[in-house]
Amino acid sequence: MSVTSKLSENQRDLRISVKDRFDFSLHQQFRDSYANHKITGAQYTIDLSQTTYMDSSALGMILLLKDHVESLKGKLIIDKPNSSVKKILEIAQFHRLMDVVE
Amino acid sequence: MNALNKLHTKLAMVVDDSPVQRKVLSKLLVEEGYRVCTAVDGANAVYIYQQEKPDLVLMDINMPVMNGYQAATRIKALSVNSLCPMVFITSMNTDQAFIDAIDAGGDGILVRPFSPEVFKAKIKSIQRLSDMFMQLKYLQQAQQKDAELAEQLMSGVIEARNYARERIGILKKPAELFSGDIQLTSLSPNGNINVLLGDFTGHGLRSSIGAIPLAETFRTMTKKGFSLLEIVKQVNRQLTDLLPADLFLAAAFVSVSSHENSAYIFNAGLPDCYLFDALGNIKTKVVSKHPPIGVLPALLPDSSIDVINVANDDHLLLLSDGIVEARNCAGEMYDFERFERAVKQGILNNDICNTVLVSVNAFCQGMTQEDDISLISIPCGGWQTSHISRQETKIKSSEPSYLESLEPTHHNEKPEWTWRLLLTGKKLAKVNPIPMAINQIHDIENNDQHWQNLYTVLTELFVNALDHGVLGLSSELKDSAQGFAQYFAEREQRLSTLDSGFIDMSLAYFALNEGGKVKLTFKDSGQGFNYQKMMQEVPNNIANENKLSGRGIGLIKQLCSDLHYSDKGSKVEACYVW
Repeated sequence: MSVTSKLSENQRDLRISVKDRFDFSLHQQFRDSYANHKITGAQYTIDLSQTTYMDSSALGMILLLKDHVESLKGKLIIDKPNSSVKKILEIAQFHRLMDVVE
Repeated sequence: MNALNKLHTKLAMVVDDSPVQRKVLSKLLVEEGYRVCTAVDGANAVYIYQQEKPDLVLMDINMPVMNGYQAATRIKALSVNSLCPMVFITSMNTDQAFIDAIDAGGDGILVRPFSPEVFKAKIKSIQRLSDMFMQLKYLQQAQQKDAELAEQLMSGVIEARNYARERIGILKKPAELFSGDIQLTSLSPNGNINVLLGDFTGHGLRSSIGAIPLAETFRTMTKKGFSLLEIVKQVNRQLTDLLPADLFLAAAFVSVSSHENSAYIFNAGLPDCYLFDALGNIKTKVVSKHPPIGVLPALLPDSSIDVINVANDDHLLLLSDGIVEARNCAGEMYDFERFERAVKQGILNNDICNTVLVSVNAFCQGMTQEDDISLISIPCGGWQTSHISRQETKIKSSEPSYLESLEPTHHNEKPEWTWRLLLTGKKLAKVNPIPMAINQIHDIENNDQHWQNLYTVLTELFVNALDHGVLGLSSELKDSAQGFAQYFAEREQRLSTLDSGFIDMSLAYFALNEGGKVKLTFKDSGQGFNYQKMMQEVPNNIANENKLSGRGIGLIKQLCSDLHYSDKGSKVEACYVW
């Protein structure tokens, strides 16, 4: 699986990791990774440390997750993008919409 | 046709050199509702296949003239557009027979002896596969038709209406038939060229549903004379409402004004926009400062337009990420450095788009294109010049006649209609009255070419009243290139804190024997200025004047028959006659 997710024991921390290419083919997998998690006020982290490439549909998927997180009053963090992925996030100015940490 | 009928009309071909076997299989197939034709060897089977185009083929392997494998290969080559399911029937129960049968294009194999039930079950499963294939084929064709329609709409309706397609270089190479990239150019009434390069999320039809409303809004608002930021705000509102959360538009909005030697740029999610000089050197890059359009319900509060100085022989380049992310077979990206070199070469070749295209193609060496590639190159000069020179000839030829025939009579005439708007305080920063005024004129007097000139006069007078009157900005700042940007920054700042002052504007329309006259009056709350001095200094031929400020007044003087300041310069009247 290119998308894996891990929920902390107290269920307040969901970490979604995407491996290799983050593109439209992961649409369903990515959505499935969080769709059933409906606890309010949780922290969602997208771990991009293993992601080598990201396209604009991936940005769209992140925005869908953002809607989900906001509806649950949670917090969304993008974690450790590599330099080329970071460039894509920068061009899209995603740091103005959510936290991007290195 | 319902499924049952369809099944009844299906035709199966039995290929076997044994008459007994042909008879047995034919009987079983008829029981399953097929019509049946037969062939006695491989060569005969190829011939009959071409004549009858059966829906199913049952193929013996060992036959004279041409064996089953050879016949299968030929038949599969003849049936590229249909699945033509084929089952081999054989007594050779070996692994090799299985492998060869599938290699030859067979979809299944039945080994004798088998019961009628097993045979029928096999036929059913093959038929199920075949039905699925046909359904897929049908859906594919329907999708292809939709995409072709969309493509036609995009190129024929949306992009064919682009302005100055002979001067603005546009390169577009979709990854699929229908591109998620959109390129729009339109002429603003003040002579500015508005350009948009947009990249919708993803590709294909799904990514293009926003294209039509986007093109409509962009064009209509440009033609009505809304400012670039107003257009961006409206497009953003519209796309946010219209598109699902994961669909958005990365876009650069640009307005080039050769008369102000400036370009206004809003980059939301595209790679850097470039300004190149005539030798192909990079003068400026404008980075993305805002998330893509259609993500947030309103633009971020600190959103502003980048204003850069441009020279007549500069080129502005807008690109989508498809170019720089294009890959060769080694997986390397084309990237910015190669792009910049190609543009430089293109400027020297006088053909930027094609030079870049040739360079990208040479780099990719036929690798599949993953993303739409698009590029717009806008020459920064030569726009306003043609606009003004047309005006000059027109005014010169008509000036003496109307001055003689009309000047004495229209003094006491009453206008056919008047329109007035008084804007105060904060509203001055938020409301652009020019499109409203132009709308009034359009509504009452219909659309006509010369309203463009009137728009120019209205805009210049309003901007002067706001900038120099209400906001008290000095136009001297605009005398240098750096000052120009500083001027805009200061203007933004003062506008954001504005809470007093007013501008009172009115239009009066007079019909004349031939043509008509609009009298414009602007009164502002400012201190006024030394208009006598300015009127003497303003050049009469602005085309030969390099000074950056004072051009607006020069333009008004050229376009209007009468320009008259009063109240220390805080009130101005201008008459536009045609």
